[in-house]
Amino acid sequence: MNPNEIAASERKALTSARIRKTVTYVLLSLWAIVVLFPFYWMLLSSVKSYSSYNAEYVPKFIATNPTLANYAEAFTAVPLAKYFTNTIVFTILTTAVMVIVVVLSAYAFARLNFRGKNLLFTAFLSLMMIPNELVIITNFVTITNAGMRNTFWGLILPSVTSVFYIYLLKENFEQVPDELYQAAKIDGTSDLKYLFKVMIPICRPTIVTVVILKVIECWNSYVWPRLITDDPAYFLVSNGIQEIRENGFGRENIPAMMAAVVVISVPLIVLFLLFHKKIMEGVSRGGTKG
Amino acid sequence: MKNNSIKQFFNTLLILALVLVPAFSMTGCHGSQESAAFEIPESFDTTRDFEITFWAKNDTNKTQVAIYQNAIASFEALYPNVTVNLRLYTDYAKIYSDVITNISTGTTPNVCITYPDHIATYLTGRNTVVPLDGLSADERYGLCGSELRFDGPSEAEIVPEFLSECRLGGTLYALPYMRSTEALYINKTFVEALGYEVPDIPTWDYVFEVAEAAMAKNDDGTFAVNGQNVMIPFIYKSTDNMMIQYAEQAGSGYSTADGEILLFNDTTKDFLYEIAAHAKTRAFSTFKISSYPANFLNAGQSVFAVDSTAGATWMGTDAPLLDIPKDQLVSFETVVRPVPQLDPAHPRMISQGPSVCIFNKTDPQEVLASWLFAQFLLTDDVQIAYASTEGYVPVTRKAQSSASYRDYLSREGEDNATYYDVKIQASKLLLAHTSDTFTTPVFNGSASLRDAAGQLIENVTKSTRRNETVDEAYMTKLYADVTALYHLDSLGSSAVSASPDDLGPLPKTSVLLLSALGLAWVLIAAYWLSEKRRERAAKKNG
Amino acid sequence: MEKRNGKAWLYLLPALLFLGVFMVYPLVDVFVYSFEEGFNFASQTFSGVGLYNYSYVLRDPYFLAAVRNTFLLVIITVPLSTGIALLISLGLNSIQKLRDLFQTVFFLPYVTNTLAVGLVFMILFKKTAYSDGLVNVLLKAFGLTAVDFIDGPYWAKMFVLCFYTVWIVLPFKILILTSALASVKQDYYNAAKVDGTPRLRVFTKITLPMISPMLFYLIITGFIGAFKAYQDAVALFGVNLNAAGMNTIVGYVYDMLYGNSGGYPSFASAAAILLFAIVLTITVINLLVSKKHVHYD
Repeated sequence: MNPNEIAASERKALTSARIRKTVTYVLLSLWAIVVLFPFYWMLLSSVKSYSSYNAEYVPKFIATNPTLANYAEAFTAVPLAKYFTNTIVFTILTTAVMVIVVVLSAYAFARLNFRGKNLLFTAFLSLMMIPNELVIITNFVTITNAGMRNTFWGLILPSVTSVFYIYLLKENFEQVPDELYQAAKIDGTSDLKYLFKVMIPICRPTIVTVVILKVIECWNSYVWPRLITDDPAYFLVSNGIQEIRENGFGRENIPAMMAAVVVISVPLIVLFLLFHKKIMEGVSRGGTKG
Repeated sequence: MKNNSIKQFFNTLLILALVLVPAFSMTGCHGSQESAAFEIPESFDTTRDFEITFWAKNDTNKTQVAIYQNAIASFEALYPNVTVNLRLYTDYAKIYSDVITNISTGTTPNVCITYPDHIATYLTGRNTVVPLDGLSADERYGLCGSELRFDGPSEAEIVPEFLSECRLGGTLYALPYMRSTEALYINKTFVEALGYEVPDIPTWDYVFEVAEAAMAKNDDGTFAVNGQNVMIPFIYKSTDNMMIQYAEQAGSGYSTADGEILLFNDTTKDFLYEIAAHAKTRAFSTFKISSYPANFLNAGQSVFAVDSTAGATWMGTDAPLLDIPKDQLVSFETVVRPVPQLDPAHPRMISQGPSVCIFNKTDPQEVLASWLFAQFLLTDDVQIAYASTEGYVPVTRKAQSSASYRDYLSREGEDNATYYDVKIQASKLLLAHTSDTFTTPVFNGSASLRDAAGQLIENVTKSTRRNETVDEAYMTKLYADVTALYHLDSLGSSAVSASPDDLGPLPKTSVLLLSALGLAWVLIAAYWLSEKRRERAAKKNG
Repeated sequence: MEKRNGKAWLYLLPALLFLGVFMVYPLVDVFVYSFEEGFNFASQTFSGVGLYNYSYVLRDPYFLAAVRNTFLLVIITVPLSTGIALLISLGLNSIQKLRDLFQTVFFLPYVTNTLAVGLVFMILFKKTAYSDGLVNVLLKAFGLTAVDFIDGPYWAKMFVLCFYTVWIVLPFKILILTSALASVKQDYYNAAKVDGTPRLRVFTKITLPMISPMLFYLIITGFIGAFKAYQDAVALFGVNLNAAGMNTIVGYVYDMLYGNSGGYPSFASAAAILLFAIVLTITVINLLVSKKHVHYD
């Protein structure tokens, strides 16, 4: 090829690359709009007054007379603040118990040796396939027989373990080199001390990931709380929302319903925006190790 | 090598056994839980403290909550050793499912608002609900008993029609608490604007005719009668009642006392065709499709709204309770009439309203305390107070004929709160037509049959709106679908004996599913075997 | 390091307790329930032992409808979401500016409550007496007729459900695939460039095999997750899924427990065991396929 032809083909490659890039940006922006639009609509509807919302035959994209009345309504008509505090308590306690259980068992699988280890781990893995709704029936009877309906422990205990997190953490623990362990053993460190002093600090990012995933799971938990609590004093945000939608003002008053939805979505979103880098790193690391 | 794998195999078996055996033994507790029948104790033990739970239903009405709380406070003042814990429900289906789930775990409430349909299912557990004949007749603690610390009604003073609705198989299982019926709330202004008059007892033909007339539009597309974009002339809240009342009026059959289902007949089908015709023009709609009739009526977007008389405070221009923004209200005159009839000379309307029942507990004293509270709900103060919150009627003659209730009724229209005219008109409607009311037979599963009746109308309306053809084939499929949705072929006397052959051939999808699963496992096993064989061959060669 | 460590069991004890009580015991219990015929919740009695429950459930048109819905959902959303995630990840990897912003935005749905956001979708798609809903307004602007997506024909409802499901599962997939793509060693690409390999071949011969472990992981977990769909349907269509014809298998199990006329734990158990069988089969197939096709370093 002569220099002119080379230049021409290079130029062609450059333009096609530029076109490709523009198309990529456009498509990505399109999906970004699809992702963001429901949130925008949520906010928008929550500041429209009830009558103006009903009067819009063609929904408007801007609120002409924004009002905060819906938020006032959301907090006063139902004990939304209580649902919040319940969910926070539930999330913190469940995550705390889970971390303890998961760290201990992942450590046992990763570092310690015992009879039937592989077998037991395979058994654990197969448990991952059991859908929650299968075990709900019996757990309901178990919890009720223990008199724990409408209590926090009734909510927490069945929600604690998930084999997925044990699996994640085990993979991560196994990455810690053997030599460290050997060295510690020579020094006479006990297994437990090794766990606390060495393993946990090294694998902290994954533990953080697991915590974050569990927090999100607890915040969105719906089926189990709905079953176990019929006393509104113990409702979580998700079944509180469902309650509002079915029996409360949300039946008709869509803007007020949206205000309630915004209120319960905000904490996690704020948390995410503050720590997004860490969260995404953690989740991707956890996922890629799968 | 070989030894190791055999050893592993047995290890696996051992672990499996260790895990499964205790699990299986625990699940053996699927046996029945018997409790002893209730026996009235000699006397009420006032030295012990009792805590009883009361599950109550209210209509999203704060005044009713206040009345319950006042009643509880007054009762606790009379019986200081009893504490009553109130739990509120707004949905009677939710009370029903919660009680059912709690029966299985022995955590039923003590006193509970209920409906005869529900009790029939509660009764399938042995000795769960306390029969009230013995308690009522008891000299000391029964109705008008000598040891009562309040002035309750005697059996004769309870309206007999209402009391008989609470008898199942001859035994009394509940006390009526409040009674209501369904009523037709009419926008008189619109009816007269369309050139019609409001009769005393409207018929189905009349209602449909006026509804179709109301669909006339102006040139600009708005409706002629209200100048708005939205008009649904005839909206029915409870399609269950719509079907049941029609079947009763036509005498075409709904169900027998044993649970034999007569609903799926030709008269029902003809009625469904008529409904389809009016759903097509959008002259008719239901609550489930369009939302609360009250909202449309009050906004001047409906002419005929059918709802319970216990929803009267939501109806009308000046309704005390509103679900729509105030500036959407339209000014018009509301009148209350009986639900549409086939034969105006012999009106028939459903009798509904909560009753109260007591659940059996191991401690008979606790049951007695619950009985005392249940009776307290029938005292005049509670009856009149609660009945005045909506278009209810007290269940005791004593309360109905009392001076204060008569006074309440006479002050119709004095204000738009306690003496709201639509509400009082609704109550007066039921008082005037008490002997025209009826109830449907109660058996285990009658609640499902009721839902099924409503579902027929819902499905027909929905399908018509989606422009599906409603013809004989559709109707046959509809009947089959609704029967399956509510498990109607396993109810009452139509119950199937538990044998797989009776159910008929396996549908295609199931065959597909099962064979796909079977095939998949055969293939998996074959693949796994071939892999093992290859490994063994490689090992031999390698 | 063959030391047999009995202490390990102590570490495992909490996990074993929780899993035993709340997972293994219920599994066995449900299995037993499914063979007890005519179980009545209220009286806690059953009339016999046998296959009646399975018979009934397999003939129940609502179970079959739920099976159809669930399978459709799985077949449509898993390939679609994985494919779209792959495209988006490739796009993200090829741009430099604004990449962080896009990634943050794309991850947002993951942290929100699916029930809450489902309500927003519902009001966007639903046709009421007052308004056709925003989506319909847009459709009309393009000259199409308005469709009620929430209460209307089956294909419309299925469309909304699939759309919402994809919207929800995309964030996690995008994230995983982006980091998987980023971890492919640049050397491979450089070598391909030197050889002058066309883009498509680079993709199929280098990129795809390198990210295949992640792809299969996403597909397997995608399948399992899609089979367990329930909450999303409730968010869009409300609790009466049977009447709406949009029930899923999990929803069917749940409805059977708390339905009318006394609850049917035996039918629910039979349906649940059937679901477990389906998920187990598909997972095993997936594992076998991935063993064959996944390229490990």
